[in-house]
Amino acid sequence: MSIARHWRRRHNLYRLIGTRCRSCGRTFYPQAQRCIYCGSSDVEQARIDGEARLLSYSIVYSVTDEARYEAPVILGLVEVGGVKLITEITDASPGELEVGMRLEPVLRKVSIHGESGLIYYAVKFRPAMGGDGSGED
Amino acid sequence: MAWISGVGMVRINRHYQKGLRDLAVEAASQALRDAGVDGIDYVVVASSSSYRQVGQLDLASYTSSYLGLRGARSLAVEAGEASGLAGLLTAYSLVASGAAETVLLVGVDKLTEYNSGEAYDMIEGLYDVEGEGFYNIGHAGVAGLLMRLYMHEYGVDRLTMSYWPAVMHANAKQNPYAMLRFAVTPEKVASAMPLADPVTLLDSYPLGDGAAAVVVTRRPGQVRIVGVETATGLPSPAHRDDPLYLESVAEAVSRLGLSREDLEGIDVMEIHDSFTITAYMILETLGLSDKGRAAKDLAEGKYTVEGDGPVMNPSGGLKARGHPIGATGVYQLAEVTMYLRGDFPGVKTNGARRGMVISMNAMGSSAYTALLQAE
Repeated sequence: MSIARHWRRRHNLYRLIGTRCRSCGRTFYPQAQRCIYCGSSDVEQARIDGEARLLSYSIVYSVTDEARYEAPVILGLVEVGGVKLITEITDASPGELEVGMRLEPVLRKVSIHGESGLIYYAVKFRPAMGGDGSGED
Repeated sequence: MAWISGVGMVRINRHYQKGLRDLAVEAASQALRDAGVDGIDYVVVASSSSYRQVGQLDLASYTSSYLGLRGARSLAVEAGEASGLAGLLTAYSLVASGAAETVLLVGVDKLTEYNSGEAYDMIEGLYDVEGEGFYNIGHAGVAGLLMRLYMHEYGVDRLTMSYWPAVMHANAKQNPYAMLRFAVTPEKVASAMPLADPVTLLDSYPLGDGAAAVVVTRRPGQVRIVGVETATGLPSPAHRDDPLYLESVAEAVSRLGLSREDLEGIDVMEIHDSFTITAYMILETLGLSDKGRAAKDLAEGKYTVEGDGPVMNPSGGLKARGHPIGATGVYQLAEVTMYLRGDFPGVKTNGARRGMVISMNAMGSSAYTALLQAE
């Protein structure tokens, strides 16, 4: 992935900004100029947040050269406030994971750009730290 | 109306001795010989990974030139893993519209010009690079997510999941064009090295180079193209209410006007089994198996020559015949044509009259289907 592309998408990746359609009411990730469900251009940016749960996960050993220091990567199918997205799971060992468990978002390193050594960050999810999973003690 | 009048295939393999052009010319020459045609109006080249691996742009005209088809109209088609069938849609449209009498469709791709890391990096690009493709999904990560979701939702164990690769390897063992011509047991599939747990190495396709070609013509022959259809899907399985249901596949098939009963009456199919889970998702989306039942149906013998239902992937499928990304759809077409002609040199599908191809990209970002019939 190019440095320019990452820079363009930084807000989207750091704060998990998606799209809400005012016409059909659906919200999805990532940002888009038109609704992928109904085609309407009456859309707005929407922060994807709320209760997060793990719907499925995979322990990925086969990754690209740019991510080889991150392997194995835990990939997750996560539902956040009713929106499903595919993201990475962090701060957990595979044995701790359970389908249905509560998660919370954190900013983490995703990969290192080969030539420049620039580090790419994005929102990942980790098991919720105790309490009711709301992040409040 | 259009017919397939000739086919050609190169065995899928790590062809270090042969370049992209060599493979394309070899398959195309076979197809032209098989069809016995003299004039080609259009050459359609389907390819995907070659743009990264070989770096050749305007691939269609260079391929045509080195086929000796000076002056031919040539164009290239790219639709990721579905490029081959997108090429057929193009060829079929040219013939059906009257713009061409005879079209040569060549599918070609090379995945082994660099180390496998480079190939996997390219294959990640089959997914939405602005969506999940930003994360380290690898080539099998999304399949891993969907496989665990399926096993969890329907209570299917790892060993039961493992019958698809075992059946595919048994079929490929008899196919001289297949890359992986050896048998594996379900136990071996389940315990193989994990790529994206629960997906193991033996749930996935091998990296290989290949080329296949078919001649599509307005002149009546043995195998008629009844129809070709396609549909775009949502960008990610996460966007679907049921990530395991392939809306694009269902829509493409419905556009051919086929009901579930019609599908059950089809004799043989070549479907896009990029991973074990993908095959089961397709079988359940088509309604041939109930939800959560495809793996069990297969373990009980359905979809084999001896069992009920359309025979699935006598070639060995993407799993064992191999999957040179943009070329695969053309292999599927060449194989189904041979099943209907009765001259496929592998698993025999005696008396097959109707055959179908189901192709798609990634986890259904697009889907294509073609229905062929013996005349």
